[in-house]
Amino acid sequence: MLRITLTLLVVAVTLVLAFGPFVQAQQPAQPPPTWKQGQPPSMADSPLAPIAQPPGPKAPGEIPVDKIKVPAGFKVALWASGINNARVMTWGDKGTLFVSSRVAGNVYAVLDRGATREVKVIAKGLNLPNGVAFKNGTLYIAEVSRITRMVGIEDKLDNPPAMEVVYDTLPKDLPHGWKYLAFGPDGKLYFNIGAPCNICIPPDTHANLSRVNADGTGFEYVAHGVRNSVGFDWHPVSKELYFTTHARDWLGEDTPSDRLDIASKKGLHFGYPHCHQGDILDPEFGKGKNCNDYVKPILKTGPHVAGNGIEFYTGSMFPSEYQNRAFLAQRGSWNRTQKIGFRVMMVTLDAKGGVAKYEPFAEGWLQGDQIWGRPVYTRQMKDGSLLIADDYAGAIYRVTYQR
Amino acid sequence: MAAAAPARAADLEAGSRKSEPCKACHGADGNASIPGTPSVAGQPVYFTHWQLIKFRDGRRKDPQMTPFGANLTDADMADLAAFYAAQRPTPRPAATDPSKVAAGRELAQQHHCVSCHRPGLVGHEQIPRLAGQDLAYLVKILRGFKAQTAGDLDGTMTTAVQPLSEADIENLAHYMASLPPAQPR
Repeated sequence: MLRITLTLLVVAVTLVLAFGPFVQAQQPAQPPPTWKQGQPPSMADSPLAPIAQPPGPKAPGEIPVDKIKVPAGFKVALWASGINNARVMTWGDKGTLFVSSRVAGNVYAVLDRGATREVKVIAKGLNLPNGVAFKNGTLYIAEVSRITRMVGIEDKLDNPPAMEVVYDTLPKDLPHGWKYLAFGPDGKLYFNIGAPCNICIPPDTHANLSRVNADGTGFEYVAHGVRNSVGFDWHPVSKELYFTTHARDWLGEDTPSDRLDIASKKGLHFGYPHCHQGDILDPEFGKGKNCNDYVKPILKTGPHVAGNGIEFYTGSMFPSEYQNRAFLAQRGSWNRTQKIGFRVMMVTLDAKGGVAKYEPFAEGWLQGDQIWGRPVYTRQMKDGSLLIADDYAGAIYRVTYQR
Repeated sequence: MAAAAPARAADLEAGSRKSEPCKACHGADGNASIPGTPSVAGQPVYFTHWQLIKFRDGRRKDPQMTPFGANLTDADMADLAAFYAAQRPTPRPAATDPSKVAAGRELAQQHHCVSCHRPGLVGHEQIPRLAGQDLAYLVKILRGFKAQTAGDLDGTMTTAVQPLSEADIENLAHYMASLPPAQPR
């Protein structure tokens, strides 16, 4: 009996000694916050971190609009201020400008009163409501996991109608869960479902562009391998879908580049998480992969620039060569010691739809290594002038051209 | 070139005056003594301002705070946030359990708390100081993030706390409460 007890004791001690460390190591390492995922151990002490969103908009006197530089003949003015975290802009049929936000949780209606603008909050407390689109009297709003609509909103700005659910079979992941939302030439609602991480093998349901019919039926994936696209538009002539994508972080100062792509047909794969910028295999998820198996970008827009809005110019105010050029709003970098972006770039396409020229259109939000604003989306006005939303200053600028 | 009008700087004196209704729970200088009520002294300006916005907009709900938040203007929030950021945080008397503190220290490492809350968990910008915060409040807010009722700004906390057990929450709270609160910035 004693012998058995001793033997058991020895076995028990041996087990503890043998598996003790494993038991401890079994406590799984928790993933760091999304923004820190993929950071190499050598950069563990890096001071780089996302730029904090101010809790309130800047007062007009705090917005140095004269620092924004545009090409000769163009002028920039502060058009509206006091719009906390102003992001996507979309026009109502009756001339209301609807403006989204992200972390502020609001949707705004901005009314042009000639010399001034009136701002009304029409929805608040929403879950990262970045996407807004308008069609046939109805405003559509995309939050993280649902698309809703406000029917007849322009007649009820002071007493907004209930938000009716259009589509809510969507992932609830918050990282890269906010959406851009736009109607395509086919009348369908397009949006992104971002990767729920900086870099990972995303679930099959993530890292894509998707679409539904305006009534919420007919969900389908449009593009795969898209880390997070929060800006897209259709070429005015070819009607092809052009989209911007934020590339992964922590892979160096100058790589990988953010990108501009064309989804020339449904179902293409754009490389994430295996291949970045069309020609760099991911050090972890690129093993055994080949960049030539994925669609390559038509333009590398720059490392960490945070390309958000894209809009093709179709107005009549700017010089004729501006027709069908694309404005790319770049909110600016955080994962780079030398800041880059914080500007609106302009893309001139060649006859085949490729990129002939890529140049700055509006810049100056970055002064040295200090920023005072972050241009995030553009929207043309009826007269052909261009609005630029700044979510950091909570402001909208208007760019005009005088012949 | 238009001369920029002077910006309306947040007003400490106005913040002090506007903090009158807050004193009953949060203390005269933002150092609370009621268990379950957070100290707001020395919290970063962005943090306090964002919390007040969330109470006003209903994203964060609390029987006491929701009515106060409902009537605040943007200027009120800026003044209050500036006032409380300028107050010196003092430790909250809490019976922290050494074994829970030790377990919480390990958990804070595993869950990367310092990535955002900074070494010493002193907070910065929109991210709060946790060091020396009230023990009961820390438990309550961590449970709130897990239940997704605490009103996360961007999803980071909701994502971070999902793997935590009830015991983990308790241990983390003991650890955070045991740390010395930082100086006001």
